[in-house]
Amino acid sequence: MHPILEEFLNDWVWPTAPGAGGAKFRLRLTEEKCIPGWQGLVTSTVRELEAGQGAGEDWKRRLALEGYAAEGVQFSIKQMSAQLMSISLEDQARWIDIQRMRARQVWDECKHSKLHVDSLSGHGWIKRERELMNDVEANFQPLSSYFGQGMMFAHIHPLARNAQHYFIEAGAYLTICIYERMVDDRLVRHQHLSQKAEELMHFMEGKYQIDTYCTTPATQQIVEQTLDWVLGFFQGRV
Amino acid sequence: MPTLKIDHELCTECRMCYVACRELNLNAVYVAAEPLHRLEIDPARCLFPGCTACLPYCPAPGSMVEAETGRSMVPPPQDIHRWSLKGKMR
Repeated sequence: MHPILEEFLNDWVWPTAPGAGGAKFRLRLTEEKCIPGWQGLVTSTVRELEAGQGAGEDWKRRLALEGYAAEGVQFSIKQMSAQLMSISLEDQARWIDIQRMRARQVWDECKHSKLHVDSLSGHGWIKRERELMNDVEANFQPLSSYFGQGMMFAHIHPLARNAQHYFIEAGAYLTICIYERMVDDRLVRHQHLSQKAEELMHFMEGKYQIDTYCTTPATQQIVEQTLDWVLGFFQGRV
Repeated sequence: MPTLKIDHELCTECRMCYVACRELNLNAVYVAAEPLHRLEIDPARCLFPGCTACLPYCPAPGSMVEAETGRSMVPPPQDIHRWSLKGKMR
């Protein structure tokens, strides 16, 4: 196991609240599904950065134009927004903590995009943000949610998105840890390091909500179904 | 008895500790009535080290400390926080 992943597991994944009702379920998901995915992500990111660094400076520009986390921020913004609006009035009190977290994350995700543009413009790779809309590379977005058709999928239940919080946000954090160790570019580091705490916080939301709320077969099934969909989706990319 | 406090230089105000504490109906973490509305911990309500439920969900390293020693509780040190998913629930 890569030491970055091992450190992540020991510091942030294994500790849990005493008596957390969903903890055993989270342990099973972690061991059976998440760790193999995270390991693949770490390995492929390290390999990608090593190959890029060996090929000169253009890899930074190419990666930057592809977008921060392949513009998964768009994916997240749409899901956060959809979830805020899709919880019925009678369920508002029950899921108010989740809604508060989702509302904050809309801002977090917007900031990811802004920092990404700062990095692009700081390098001189674009002059204005608007240019990105004319560049097919900068619109790189293989996720089916980009044009909206996928954004409601994961919201069959308010807890469903926790699968993405737990798995994908952890991947973002791990990627940033790798960039921190391997990339010396000032702006690229700035873009990623400033997001480190937020990605970890988003992961923690998923961890907390699974531990606290996913205590029945019905709620666990919702999360596991979504995780299986996410893993299937990303298998071809990692 | 040691107590917990928040290091505002490192806390990101994400409120995961507030949510975790309120879920247990302890309500030791509160939003202070000061201009920045920062989170604080009420030592009269906080059960630390008997309760460590907030620690495993805090994402900001070093932001919760033992008040008397200044020792970081995030990520949770194993001698304080003994609940781990790794292999067994100790």
